[in-house]
Amino acid sequence: MQLGEEAGLELLYARYGGLIFTLALRIVGDPELAREVLQDTFLRCWDGSESFDSARGRVPWWLMGIARNRAIDLLRSRPHQARLREREQLAVGIGEPAQPDATASFPMRHAVVSALQGLPAAQRQAIEMAYYGGFTQTEIARELGTPLGTIKSRTREAMDRLRTLLWPLIEPQRGGVGRP
Amino acid sequence: MTEEHEYPIENLAAYALGALEGPEQVRVESHVATCTTCASLLEQYRGVVGALPFGLDPVQPPAEAWAAIRAEAARRRPRGPGRASIKGLPSWRRVMWPVVAALAASLLVWNVVLQLELTRRPPGPEVEALARRPGRLVILTGTGAPGASGRLLVAIDGHHGHLATAGLRPLPAERTYQLWFVRPGAPTVTGGAFRVDSRGRAWATITVPVPLDEARVVAITEEPAPGSATPTGSYLLEAKSWR
Repeated sequence: MQLGEEAGLELLYARYGGLIFTLALRIVGDPELAREVLQDTFLRCWDGSESFDSARGRVPWWLMGIARNRAIDLLRSRPHQARLREREQLAVGIGEPAQPDATASFPMRHAVVSALQGLPAAQRQAIEMAYYGGFTQTEIARELGTPLGTIKSRTREAMDRLRTLLWPLIEPQRGGVGRP
Repeated sequence: MTEEHEYPIENLAAYALGALEGPEQVRVESHVATCTTCASLLEQYRGVVGALPFGLDPVQPPAEAWAAIRAEAARRRPRGPGRASIKGLPSWRRVMWPVVAALAASLLVWNVVLQLELTRRPPGPEVEALARRPGRLVILTGTGAPGASGRLLVAIDGHHGHLATAGLRPLPAERTYQLWFVRPGAPTVTGGAFRVDSRGRAWATITVPVPLDEARVVAITEEPAPGSATPTGSYLLEAKSWR
């Protein structure tokens, strides 16, 4: 990537900055840390610390992946405080699905929210602990005091259900490199 | 369906979520690299993972965040030519063109269109997850150990990788297996030593000490523990070409 054009970076930020910040905030639970993730994500793109391979996916997925991994790294660097907060968030999130907001009418958001809410609580918990909490399957099993095999089954069943519901919406949108 | 196939499938969903580590992760990567069925399923799981952030209530970053990023980006100039690269793309401009075009259109109805675009095209960690997959795959065959096989998965950075082997016999404590990169006209260098479990399997994180393309042969030998400076045993597993 021959970066260097500030305008290009700005366009990427305008397009994906909000979503990256939202994801980072969900993971780290702290606006300042989320902002750190946001900045680090774009600067890694800028200075070439992360390389994008067009044959392997789309630009926004690449950006979101950088952000998620960076956020998880931060989360792990604060094992006690942040993970406790994460657990609290998960406990709230599982019991109290978010209220629909002004953007809920957008198809993908609506579909994702509905699909997640349609999962059994235990399955949703496994998904959220893995993706937003950065827990491995083994760690989830240990945290919940549940057999590893059960966690694996929950994860797979949840993902299969989400795949059934969401993939038909995702698949038609798959496109070229620049198409996010 | 074989056990070799069932095992990775059971873990594909967790892998897509980034919830596997160590041997399980390597085993899935190794399997997916050669199984189109599982690769297709994994792609769908990744699509799902990429859509998950859309289930969150959108939060706008602080207004000053962009200014800080821009300032830091400017401070990091000048950039050396070729420091960063996107494979398969001739230029950053090409990457940006669809974004520029879409954004120009979206300026008409900025907020609404931008949100629609974000919603319509779900981003996600797929590429990052893919980036953790190997940049190169070296398939080792059991030239000196019939029935044994191995997969060397070299990361995109060219320096790190994972080695998965099967069919090698367990060794006594004073012996070890060792990975080698054999170069024409240059010393043979090692990527590390490893042991196999009671079933003859191994998953090891390895270092690739030289550019893979400088090697003529990648091989595994049996050596005295903890390893040799140069290979003393015959090649048990061997690869002479890779992609």
